[in-house]
Amino acid sequence: MNLRLTAVALGLLALGASLPAAAQQGVTDTEIVIGDILPLTGPPALLGVAHNVGVKAAVAEANAAGGINGRKLRLISEDDGYVPSRTIQGVRKLVNSDKIFAFTSISGTAQAQAAMQLIRQSGLPAMAPITTYEGLYKPTIKNVFAVGYDMREAVYEMIVQMADRYPGKKWAVISQDDDYGQNVRDGFERAAKEKKLQVVSSQVFKKGQSDFSSEILKVKQSGAEALMAGGVLGENVTMVKELERIGHKIPVGVTYVSRVPASAKMMGTAGENVYTVDYVYLETSPEAKDFMAKLDKHLSPEERGKVNRYTFTGYSAARALFAAMDKCGKALTAACTIAELEKLKNLETGAMTPVSFSANDHLAAPKLFLMKADPASVSYKLVK
Amino acid sequence: MSYFIELVASGLAIGAIYGLVAMSFAVIYKATGIVNFAQGEMGMLTAYTSWTIATTLGTDAVTTVLVAVVAGAILGLVCERLIMRPMLGEPVLSVVLVTVGLAVVLRSLVTMIWGAAPHKFAIGGADTILQIGGIGVRASQLTVIAVLLLAIAGFWFFLQHSRFGVAMRAVAADEKTARLMGISTARVQAVAWAAASGLAGLAGAFFAVIYGLAPTIFEIGLKAFPATVLGGFDSVLGSAASGLIIGVLENLVGGYLPSTLKEIAGFVLILVVLMVRPFGLFGEKRIERV
Repeated sequence: MNLRLTAVALGLLALGASLPAAAQQGVTDTEIVIGDILPLTGPPALLGVAHNVGVKAAVAEANAAGGINGRKLRLISEDDGYVPSRTIQGVRKLVNSDKIFAFTSISGTAQAQAAMQLIRQSGLPAMAPITTYEGLYKPTIKNVFAVGYDMREAVYEMIVQMADRYPGKKWAVISQDDDYGQNVRDGFERAAKEKKLQVVSSQVFKKGQSDFSSEILKVKQSGAEALMAGGVLGENVTMVKELERIGHKIPVGVTYVSRVPASAKMMGTAGENVYTVDYVYLETSPEAKDFMAKLDKHLSPEERGKVNRYTFTGYSAARALFAAMDKCGKALTAACTIAELEKLKNLETGAMTPVSFSANDHLAAPKLFLMKADPASVSYKLVK
Repeated sequence: MSYFIELVASGLAIGAIYGLVAMSFAVIYKATGIVNFAQGEMGMLTAYTSWTIATTLGTDAVTTVLVAVVAGAILGLVCERLIMRPMLGEPVLSVVLVTVGLAVVLRSLVTMIWGAAPHKFAIGGADTILQIGGIGVRASQLTVIAVLLLAIAGFWFFLQHSRFGVAMRAVAADEKTARLMGISTARVQAVAWAAASGLAGLAGAFFAVIYGLAPTIFEIGLKAFPATVLGGFDSVLGSAASGLIIGVLENLVGGYLPSTLKEIAGFVLILVVLMVRPFGLFGEKRIERV
C-alpha cells in the first residue's frame, strides 16, 4: 500500500515538474502591474508626490513606446502618509491583494525599515530611491536596489569640497535629533577629522522646531565662519534667514534634500552663500533638457507643477527597473529582473548621473555635483 | 551683554506669536469654558487663506493683515455656528473632543487644498532688516510685537469698558445668572469664537511671513498652549504676557543650554509654576479644568 502511495506521489511530482512554471505575480499576457508606497499626504508629500509624478512619466513613456515586450505597465500607488504602520499595511495590500510585480518606491527610512521584512519575504524587485539609508544595501538584500547617494557620504563630500573652497575657517554644525541628523553628523565629523577642521559649535535641535534664532546667535557667538545646516527644508531656510538678520554672512552647507525650488525661493537673498551637493541634474541644465521635454509631454499641467528633484529620482529608478525587465524578454520573472538589475551598468536616464548596480553593490551611487543657491534666478547653479 | 539682549529680542518676536495664540485660547475659554484644541489649525487655515488672497490680488501688508483678521473671524463664526453650537449642553469632554476632531479635519483640508509644498509668504517690506540699538530685527518681527501690544490694549479696553466685554465677563463668571440678566450667551460665545479666531489668524499669518507657509504651522497651537496654562486659562491678558515670557525663556535656554532643551523649556516652566499656582500666574483661583 505504502509502495503504491509513494509511486502515485512520485508520479504527481513528475507531472508537476513537466508543467510550465506558475505564472509570475503581476504579469499577464498584456499587462505588468507595478506599485509604489510613499507619502502622498502630509508634509513629506512634497517629495512623495513629486517622486510619484516621475514614476508616472516613466510609465507613460514606456507605454507610449508599446510597453515592455508588448505588455503595458499599470502603476498602483499607495499613500502611507510617512507613517510606518501604514507602510506595512500598504506593502501587504500591494503584494497580496494587488499582486504587483515590482515596487518602484518603498517610502522613507523608518517606513522602509518597518516594511523591510515583508518586502524581503515577497522576493519582488524593489527600488528605493527616496531613502538611501545603509540598511537597504549593507549587507546586500537580494531584491532591494537603492538609487541615490548615502546621506553621510554626501555630507562628507560636500564639507570636503567646501573646506577646499574656504580653507582655514572655523566650523559649526546644527543637526536634527533623529537618524537623518545622525547621518549629517557622521558625514560632517568624518570630513572635519580628515580635513582637520576646527569645529567651534555643535548643536542638536528637536525635530519640528521652527525658530532658530538662539542656535544661530550661538553660532555667531562661537566665532564660526562656516556652517553645516542639518535641517530638512524649512529649518535650513530659517537658519540662513537668521544669519542674514544678524549680519553673519558665512558659507552654509545643506543636504540635497533641501534642493527643491521652494527652498531657494523661501531663502531669497539670504541664500547667497548656500551650497549643496546633488547627483540629480539641475532642471535648467543642458543634460536635463530632453528629460524636461518628456515631462511636458507625459504629465498633466497639474502634475507638471509638482515636479522637483524627487521627480528626477523617481523617473530614474523606474527607468532602471524597466530596463532590467525589458532584458528579460517575454519570460518576465522577478528572479530574472533582479539578475538583470545586478548587471545594470551606467544606465543613462537623462535625469541624473548614470545608474549602476552589481551583485555585491545594490546602491547606485551616482556622481555628485557641488551647487550653490542663486537668489537672482531663485534656483541652484553648478559650481565649476 | 549684547548676546543676552539679542536672545531676548528674538525671543520677544516668537513670543508675540505665542502670545496671540495664547490669547485666543483664553478668549474662548473665558466665554465658553471650553479649550479649543483646533486653535493652531485655525491660525494655519487663515494663514493659507490670507496668502491666497495676497498672492492673487497683490494686497499690501496692512490689507493682508486685515484680511487675516477678517478671514480668521469668519472661520471662527462658521465653526461656532456649525460645529460648536449644536454641542451646547453636551458634556465638556465631548465638546473638547470635537475640537480635537476639528483640528484633524482642518489639517487634512489644508493639505488637500494647498498641497504640502512650503511657500514664501512675501508681503510688502516684511523681510526688511531694521537696526535697532545695533540689533537686526525684521520688519515683520517688529510688527508682530506691536500687534500683540495693540491686541492686549484693545482687549483690556474691550473687557473693562465695553458693554459686550462686561457681558462676556458676566457669562464667564456665571452663565446662568448672566442669562437671567438678559445676556445672550450664544451671541457672546459667537463673538468670542470670532475674536479668538481673528487672533489666531493674525498669529498664523505672521508666523507664515516670518518662517514660511507650510502645513506644519498648526504647531503654533501646541507651542502657545504652555503660555495659556502659564498665564491662566481665564486670563486673556495674562496669556498674552505669558507668550512673551515663554518665547524669551525658550531663547535664553537655547542660547545658554543645549538646544534640545529649548523645545521643552516652556513645559518645564508650567510644571514648576502650576505646582505653586495651579490656576496660572494671572488666573483666578476658582478655575475649573478639563
